[in-house]
Amino acid sequence: MKRSTVRLLAPVVALAVVGVSCGDDDDAPDESARGRITEVQAGDSILDAVIEADSLRCGVRADLPGFSATNEAGEHEGFDADFCRVIAAAVLGDATKVEFVDVETAARFTALQAGEIDVLSRNTTWTASRDGTEGATFLHPTFYDGQAMMVAADTFTSIDEMDGAVVCVAGGTTTEGNAAAEFERRGLTVEVSSFESVDLLQEAFLAGSCDGWSSDYSQLNSLRANYPEGSEALVIFDDIFSKEPLAPAVIDGDTAWAQAVNWAILSTIQAEEYGLTSDNVDEGLTHDDPNIVQFLGGENVDGTVLDTGIGLPPDFAYQVISQVGNYGEIFEANLAPLGLERGVNALWTDGGLQYAPPYR
Amino acid sequence: MTAHATPAAPSPTPRDQRGHAAVPPWRDVRNLAWLFQFAVVLGAIALVAWLWGNYQDRSAASNIPSSFSFLNQPADFPISGSDFRRTQPVRAAIVEGLFNTLRLVVAGVILATVVGTLVGIARLSKNFLVNKAAQVYVEFIRNIPLFALLVLMYSAVVLRVLPDPRPGRGGSWEWGPVAVLNTRGIGVLWFEGGNLRFVLVVAVFAVVGAVTARLRRRRSDATGAPARTGLWGGVAGLAAAAAVWALLGLGISAPELSGLRTTGGIVMTPPYAAALAALVIYTSSHIAEIVRGSILAVPRGQGEAANAVALSSFQRMWFVVLPQALRVGVPAIGNQYLNLAKNSSLAAAIAFPELTQIVGLSVANRSPAVPAFALLLLIYLVISLVLSALVNLANRRLAIVER
Amino acid sequence: MDPVTGDLTALAPAEPPRPATSGAGDWVRRNLFRSVGDGIVTVVAAVVIGYVLFRLGRYVFVTGRWEIVRRNLGLFMYGRYPRDELWRIVVALCAISAYGGVFAGHLDRRRADAGITGPRLTPAARARDLLSRFWPLLLGVLVLLLLAGTATPWFVALAVVGAGVAGRLGGGLLGKRWLLPLLGVGVASLVAVMALLLDAAGWDRWGGLMITILLAVAGIVLCFPLGVLLALGRRAGREVNSIGGGIVVAAVVAAIPIVLLVLTGTDPSRPLTWILLGLAVAGGTGGFFVGKRSSLPLVRVLSVVYIEFFRGVPLYVLLFLSYLGLGFFLPRGFDTPGIVVRAVVVFTLFTAAYLAEIVRGGLQSLPRGQTEAAQALGLGPIRTNALIVLPQALRNVIPSIVGQFISLFKDTTLAGAVMGILELLRTSDVANAQADFAGAGLFAETIPFVMFVFWVGCITMSRESQRLERKLGVGTR
Repeated sequence: MKRSTVRLLAPVVALAVVGVSCGDDDDAPDESARGRITEVQAGDSILDAVIEADSLRCGVRADLPGFSATNEAGEHEGFDADFCRVIAAAVLGDATKVEFVDVETAARFTALQAGEIDVLSRNTTWTASRDGTEGATFLHPTFYDGQAMMVAADTFTSIDEMDGAVVCVAGGTTTEGNAAAEFERRGLTVEVSSFESVDLLQEAFLAGSCDGWSSDYSQLNSLRANYPEGSEALVIFDDIFSKEPLAPAVIDGDTAWAQAVNWAILSTIQAEEYGLTSDNVDEGLTHDDPNIVQFLGGENVDGTVLDTGIGLPPDFAYQVISQVGNYGEIFEANLAPLGLERGVNALWTDGGLQYAPPYR
Repeated sequence: MTAHATPAAPSPTPRDQRGHAAVPPWRDVRNLAWLFQFAVVLGAIALVAWLWGNYQDRSAASNIPSSFSFLNQPADFPISGSDFRRTQPVRAAIVEGLFNTLRLVVAGVILATVVGTLVGIARLSKNFLVNKAAQVYVEFIRNIPLFALLVLMYSAVVLRVLPDPRPGRGGSWEWGPVAVLNTRGIGVLWFEGGNLRFVLVVAVFAVVGAVTARLRRRRSDATGAPARTGLWGGVAGLAAAAAVWALLGLGISAPELSGLRTTGGIVMTPPYAAALAALVIYTSSHIAEIVRGSILAVPRGQGEAANAVALSSFQRMWFVVLPQALRVGVPAIGNQYLNLAKNSSLAAAIAFPELTQIVGLSVANRSPAVPAFALLLLIYLVISLVLSALVNLANRRLAIVER
Repeated sequence: MDPVTGDLTALAPAEPPRPATSGAGDWVRRNLFRSVGDGIVTVVAAVVIGYVLFRLGRYVFVTGRWEIVRRNLGLFMYGRYPRDELWRIVVALCAISAYGGVFAGHLDRRRADAGITGPRLTPAARARDLLSRFWPLLLGVLVLLLLAGTATPWFVALAVVGAGVAGRLGGGLLGKRWLLPLLGVGVASLVAVMALLLDAAGWDRWGGLMITILLAVAGIVLCFPLGVLLALGRRAGREVNSIGGGIVVAAVVAAIPIVLLVLTGTDPSRPLTWILLGLAVAGGTGGFFVGKRSSLPLVRVLSVVYIEFFRGVPLYVLLFLSYLGLGFFLPRGFDTPGIVVRAVVVFTLFTAAYLAEIVRGGLQSLPRGQTEAAQALGLGPIRTNALIVLPQALRNVIPSIVGQFISLFKDTTLAGAVMGILELLRTSDVANAQADFAGAGLFAETIPFVMFVFWVGCITMSRESQRLERKLGVGTR
């Protein structure tokens, strides 16, 4: 009796499973346990979701010295990591409320699209096709970089001599295509060797496996600064292959969030223009210049506080500068030790490209 | 004596034509079995359909194509060590990757078998040092991850051991016309004139050698003179191969260093060398254990009988023990070959442009991820099935035919 | 003796028997210098081995730059776990050690109660035995403690060992009927330990050895139900030879790609067309041959398809597919799961196929009489499998299952490379990218360290499983 009951139950259970799994696709967005909204609909913004969850999920790297690396205590340090903290300080008032998510190169845009991260701060180049097909909106570039070529000191003196050379690049990024395109443009043949991880690329270059290493100037310079045989043993050519503006990115279609993040970043540049640092920002609240006071969220002469309607609290700039610092401080702390000069990343007043629109 | 009234006989159980007790169809085990099966299959199909539907839905929403049309798009990435141009379509890149994988797998299988057999025999040596050294080797290599070995081989071994060819840093090692070694690659003496002709030469060598060996064996059986099949077969095969070689106009090309590049010969790039070394070391340690186990599985009497008829220890191993051990070990060794083929995908991590690396590059250059990797899985599946069919064939041929 | 006269004096005096010496000299002669050739081999091997050992020793103790490992030891052991919540890890380790001790003590008590007593060992002999069993583990722990430098890890190690010993003593008091409660307590304490650890940081922040263990254990534990089902499914039904069944199965299996082909259009220039056609043909033929041998052919075909697929593809590629593509297969509105979940999903599905083959071997090793006896007693198929067949089959293949776990343990390195999970090998990458160590070529230090940790874990597990195999008498009864 029991046996046949079991045999009767089995198909019934199976059919029930079938019925359940053939459920209709529900188009309404489903909120996960943490209240994140993964589909941007009218009226919902990641800004609200971040404030509600009280933590910012920032996509970074784990292994790029100077930009985003993991230290011994397991914390992320670096230029890109600090800008994550800038955004958290601006939106949430606390620079420590960042959840760093290590994303691999291959998945950085899908992570953004899928809502696994709120903002991508991962030395990513802003290009037109990434704006288009990758579903990402790029914000103000935090670092204007360029792709360059580095060779050992006494091998070549210019790219035109490198016909038929072996050039090593990191795979999956714009550098590959750019290097090949540049050589083609000059009518030279090149053998491009593409590596998954920068560490192995470095080992190969150090061992003489490559004639040249082509990558962003900032990466090449940081290796050259730390080179065991001294930085004179390596030469970085002046020719810049391509413009590589590195900028944080958010998902397409969420204007409120994009603007909030953008102004958080711009506030660091504006702060440096005003001469505000993390040490003297308190004095800025009682400054003579009303622009500075307004910028930091203080009261105007008539007692009002500027509300720009971006969605950030009025004192966001104050929080950013006091907890993290201005653009120059962030640069000095992370990139200067790698031997990088401000160069084109200086303020516009010093002949560079960093220019913040007025905060009013 | 009271006469018991005989109780009425119970009505007979209804029976069908074959004499089975009649069971209503909804309780019949055979029908229920089919119902169960169809339900399970329907459930599986429903699951797959749901997954497929989600995939199409999501692809449409993110504007990502979900077809295999990416195969016809230009690749936009170069492949080192080949003539591949960026403008060629992705499917040509995948074919290049497949050839690289096969180069790695074929060389790996041959070397791993040789090294593994030697280490396995060494494990059984009576010499304490040799035995212990082999044991330590096997016990160490088997217990570390292949991936770690691979990265170590590349970063700390191949790149360190080989000399830096750049001026002022040592220069390459040039071993006569045979080899040129530096961190750009290991150039080895090779033939010139095309792979297909080389395969023809090898085939001629094998066929002539086998035929000669068989003729010698027959002669030796008839007359009792020593056969020396190896010697005769080898010499005859070489002679025939040399004749064909000269006929086809194949040449030898020696590697030569010109500046920093090695021209001529065949060049093994450091990633290839490192991947091959790691795969061979790892797989050979497993094969060594299998060989040891299968040699131990041969009954001791066989070896003792071989000694009794005064065979030398090489003859004992080659003619008596190994053939029997091989029969026991073939399935397990074949399994290791399969593992090697699958493990070759790890070479992607050290920039060797094999199949996985190529598909990874193409996905990074805007090919859709799911169709590309699905295709990759299919290709590996086909390789695995072919390899395992070959192993099964070998197994069946070698299986001990019992009376 | 002289055959004619029977005179024995003409015989040469008998040589006295050679004493069976077992001195060092004889050992050397027997094992190292059997013959001239052997002697040469010994000398050459001795020179080579001596050189290798010398270089190795010099590297480990003198020239190796171990600073990177020393400073990043926390990263290697527990990754990005918050540093002020490390007490949770200590509590977890002590709890696991205590439970292990209790369980071992209970098993000892059961054996003693059943009258099986091993040889009585003096404490010294006992210590020697434990040392020879666990010397790799002790070496590994010692190396880690020495690298750590501070005193706290020593106390932690002592606490863990103490908890284990206390558990062992306590477990000895528990008799036979405590088995089920113990198992229940085990499951509950596992849940509690996980909750304790997750309270401070989600598993996306775990790293190093901790996440390696989590991935491997989760993979092997979660794959069990699926693996056993697949193994049973592969042997489902009675052995028959029905062409009709084979045809039905071939039709069903070939129908799926054909339906897809019809739906997506038959354009001969598209690769998809040929792929689907190939699948239909292959599936049809394969399905026919698998299907005609069983009375439940469709179930068999499903199992075979699953098992052969996951055994024929590399784990590396599956991880890539999961990393980049898993999100596509979930309905819109569902959060894509974190990388740890994605990795565990792949490991589970992958290991289930291998486990299915292992369990199938165990099922085949079981004499048919067991099933027949169960049927004679009137047990249905589920009861037969659950109470009679599976316990015996699984017991027979425990060493193979441990072998599969060791494989999985080593394969977690792939998850680090593909998905960026901060497991042991990837931690080596990350440590080399820190500002203090970048560009110094310290891979030659970090990777051997990682290999050492793996070696300690794997060889301990593999030796224990061989010992268990001998104790259980697998293959002998």
